[in-house]
Amino acid sequence: MRAFALFHARPTTPDAFTTLYTYDCAQQLNVLPDGRPVISDPVMLLATGSTTSTAGSKTHFDD
Amino acid sequence: MTVLILTVPEDVTADLVVAALHERAVPVVRLDPAGLPGEVSMSAEYISGDVHGFLSVQGRLVSMNSLRSVWIRRPGTPGADATRRSEQPEWLTTEAERALYGALRCVPAPWMNHPGAAEQARYKPWQLFAAHRAGFAVPATLITTFPQAARKFAEQHPELVVKSVSGTHPGNPPMVLPTTVVPPDPDFSSVSAGPTLLQEYVRKTADIRLTCVGVRQFAAAKKAGPDQVDGRFGSPEDAQWYPVEPPARIARAVRDYMDEAGLAYGAFDFAEDCDGTWWFLECNQSGQFGFVELATGQPITAAIADWLARDGT
Repeated sequence: MRAFALFHARPTTPDAFTTLYTYDCAQQLNVLPDGRPVISDPVMLLATGSTTSTAGSKTHFDD
Repeated sequence: MTVLILTVPEDVTADLVVAALHERAVPVVRLDPAGLPGEVSMSAEYISGDVHGFLSVQGRLVSMNSLRSVWIRRPGTPGADATRRSEQPEWLTTEAERALYGALRCVPAPWMNHPGAAEQARYKPWQLFAAHRAGFAVPATLITTFPQAARKFAEQHPELVVKSVSGTHPGNPPMVLPTTVVPPDPDFSSVSAGPTLLQEYVRKTADIRLTCVGVRQFAAAKKAGPDQVDGRFGSPEDAQWYPVEPPARIARAVRDYMDEAGLAYGAFDFAEDCDGTWWFLECNQSGQFGFVELATGQPITAAIADWLARDGT
């Protein structure tokens, strides 16, 4: 039998934004293709949703 | 003295704090436990009551005894990278987890948050219990596998929401489970197929996110639409977050909750109703804060960096 809560679940929508950054172990920061730290671009941070309250839902308990 | 940060590489929210610690000239070692063994190495030696341990990652070596603080942000599962190419992967994961966190638990440095406190704080039923004790207004809640109990609860509270008990979303296949209003006259028979969390629906005028860092509190609000239930799943065009001052009784309750939970960091979610009451929904012990800071300018990153970098700890 399907659990009650699952009747209210819905499929995830694919991420519309491709991750454009990579981790730089020397700086211990994520960087953009041009070498700038990702955090220097707050507009992009918000656009990717990487700092939002659903960002961790895929892999972690906490939002 | 070094700050140890445990998180996945792609965690850009952690980047904010790493950069703030760089600005403060505080040494940082950031690693993902998923890389142990392999990219991450460790050693802990127990001699005559003393523990001497070292961690190494990507050319950085740090003594566990020289740690100033430990921040558990969003760590991967210990051993996860190695288990892809190892026999007995589940056993190896357990071995890696026990070795790393067991050794770190011997470190006298303060944690944000200690693994024991974090584990307890993840249990939503415990959160509700602690919230009551702290003095928050908490919506009536039922967690049950008895269909009859669900029916009775629905009679007492005609407007209900259903939400995940664990806070996780179904993964196979991947789905999301937002907090959802239960339609009228539901069939509760399937409640017996899994623990179900039903909660009195609070008709809110705003979502509140209060981020507590040590003794500092940062509250922000976002206006809610008339039928909006789960603010996390709104569109980007929705209302924006703005700073608010928490009422004195809420600030007191937050302090009491944090003390009871033994937490150094907590992200509280409230629903504000038309009377101005802040209804406690949950406290995420590792909740995101970047989206609030970027929208409001509240110095949460600086508060975390200050807490992790403080002297004499």
